Amino acid sequence: MSAAIETRGLTKRFGGLVALDSVGLQAASGETLGIIGVNGAGKTTLMNCICGLYRPDGGDVFIAGERVTGQPPHVVAHKGIGRTFQVPRVFRKMSLIDNLLVPVLDRRASSDAELTERAEEMLARMQLIGLRHNYAEELSGGQQKLLEMARMLMPDPPIVMLDEPFAGVHPVLCKFMIERIEEMSGAGKAVLLISHDLTSIYRLSSRVVALNQGKIIAEGGVADIRGNPAVIEAYLGA
Amino acid sequence: MPILPRLRDPADRIYYTLVVAIGGALMIYFALVPVLGLNVAFHFYLMLWITMASAFNVSSGFSGYLPFGYVAFYGVGAFTTAILVKKAAFPVFLALPFSGVAGLVLALLFAPTLRLSGIYFGIVSLALAGICRLVITNMPEEITGGSFGLQLGSRAHPVQAFYVMMAVMVAALAVILWLSRSRLGKALRATRDDAEAAEMMGINVPRVRLYGWLVAAFFPALCGGVEAWYTNVVDTETAFNTLTTAKTVIYAVAGGLGTITGPIIGSVVMVWLDELIWRQFPLLNLLILGLATIALVLFLPRGIVGTILRRKPQWRRYVP
Ligand SMILES: Nc1ncnc2c1ncn2[C@@H]1O[C@H](COP(=O)(O)OP(=O)(O)O)[C@@H](O)[C@H]1O
Ligand SMILES: [Mg+2]
Repeated sequence: MSAAIETRGLTKRFGGLVALDSVGLQAASGETLGIIGVNGAGKTTLMNCICGLYRPDGGDVFIAGERVTGQPPHVVAHKGIGRTFQVPRVFRKMSLIDNLLVPVLDRRASSDAELTERAEEMLARMQLIGLRHNYAEELSGGQQKLLEMARMLMPDPPIVMLDEPFAGVHPVLCKFMIERIEEMSGAGKAVLLISHDLTSIYRLSSRVVALNQGKIIAEGGVADIRGNPAVIEAYLGA
Repeated sequence: MPILPRLRDPADRIYYTLVVAIGGALMIYFALVPVLGLNVAFHFYLMLWITMASAFNVSSGFSGYLPFGYVAFYGVGAFTTAILVKKAAFPVFLALPFSGVAGLVLALLFAPTLRLSGIYFGIVSLALAGICRLVITNMPEEITGGSFGLQLGSRAHPVQAFYVMMAVMVAALAVILWLSRSRLGKALRATRDDAEAAEMMGINVPRVRLYGWLVAAFFPALCGGVEAWYTNVVDTETAFNTLTTAKTVIYAVAGGLGTITGPIIGSVVMVWLDELIWRQFPLLNLLILGLATIALVLFLPRGIVGTILRRKPQWRRYVP
């Protein structure tokens, strides 16, 4: 069986800078793959290449075995991939409900009422239901991250990518988010979890990939990565 | 399928009640203008500006584009009807739809510029409007009438033209009302707020933008055609007058972009103000209107409706 999500030899250059250098990784359904690395290691670039925002200079992306390299982002999204952003990118002048409807607008089979009902359920789960008619720009930073998670989950994608979900988030909210992420993998989704914060990654991930200067420097279970000299050096040397 | 959506939300009920009340009042009022012997010219132009500002709102308020060359659609629509009536002996009612089609064709020609954003889009749009005007100015005089313009001759029928303008306005408002609540409208707004994010959420951004752009182009082109019929004369100077874009923008912004009532209220207030100023100070009319616009932008930067909704966010769901 093919992995839910896989990259092979993924390479991305910005001018002379090699932001991704032949990155190959895969994650199966129900698995949480942690991706760690210091600032500038290439984590966000990896995510942007996977979802089609950036066109990689080399290598390929496969979703459930199907090659999607070079497809526009909206096509890749419909293959079953959802994501959040390091700095939240909500639709600022739209209500929370409408924000959640955006990823499912092309679902002709579902009526507006059905989709709205589902959106309200998702908002309730993220404890945002009381604000459902507010504009997204009226939320706090942490709430915007929750809104992004709810929006990502609306079409029930088999693959989700979370970019630094805990950065700048209050510890109480972090705990809440960790539970939500556990639910995602528990529901059989392949989760790509990016963080430069090791504690949360070690708690959630079954496997971890460490990136440094665009290259994979280590890969394995949490125990292997924790003691890995190359990882320790990348983090301490930074 | 029910025509109206199931209104399980009381807010929706208030919304549609307002739509029917405001829309009904507008329609009855305008329909009675010629009957009651009110000023037909004033109300003809009021409806024209309501249509122009509302269609502009689709481009600007819903989609986030500022077409500084918006008049191009109007001008091409005006010449299409005039040429078809004068040179091809079309009946006016047959010529008018071609004005709308001409607007759509022009919008398709301009579609590649939708990749630009912000001020770049605005400037390119202005340049393209200039090119349209040049092309028509340099067409053979037998077709466009040269600098004298085209006289439509004995076809004038102000009251008929008035009711056709009314039909165009009602159609425009109905389409925009549908759009603002439709899935396409939500996709447009998401694209306006963050095009890349919308695309990563599965929105086909170029296609959605094109649809919004076509709606925004169709109605001003029809307005141009109807106005050509109403005034009975078309020339490049007036058909491509930059002031037309300026007024459209000012009226829409004065009411508030993004809502349906905004451009309507903005047009009513500003056209009425314009008329008042013009009567009192025929010479200073543009100067005073300019000052009024500056005051408006300074004190109500979100426009009349936009400012009210800023103060009372809970009303957003009720106001069309
Ligand atoms: N759009 C871009 N243009 C130019 N350089 C970029 C762009 N995006 C990322 N980079 C560069 O690529 C490298 C990796 O960045 P990024 O993927 O954001 O790192 P991380 O998410 O791991 O902190 C950095 O040196 C960054 O400056
Ligand atoms: Mg990053």
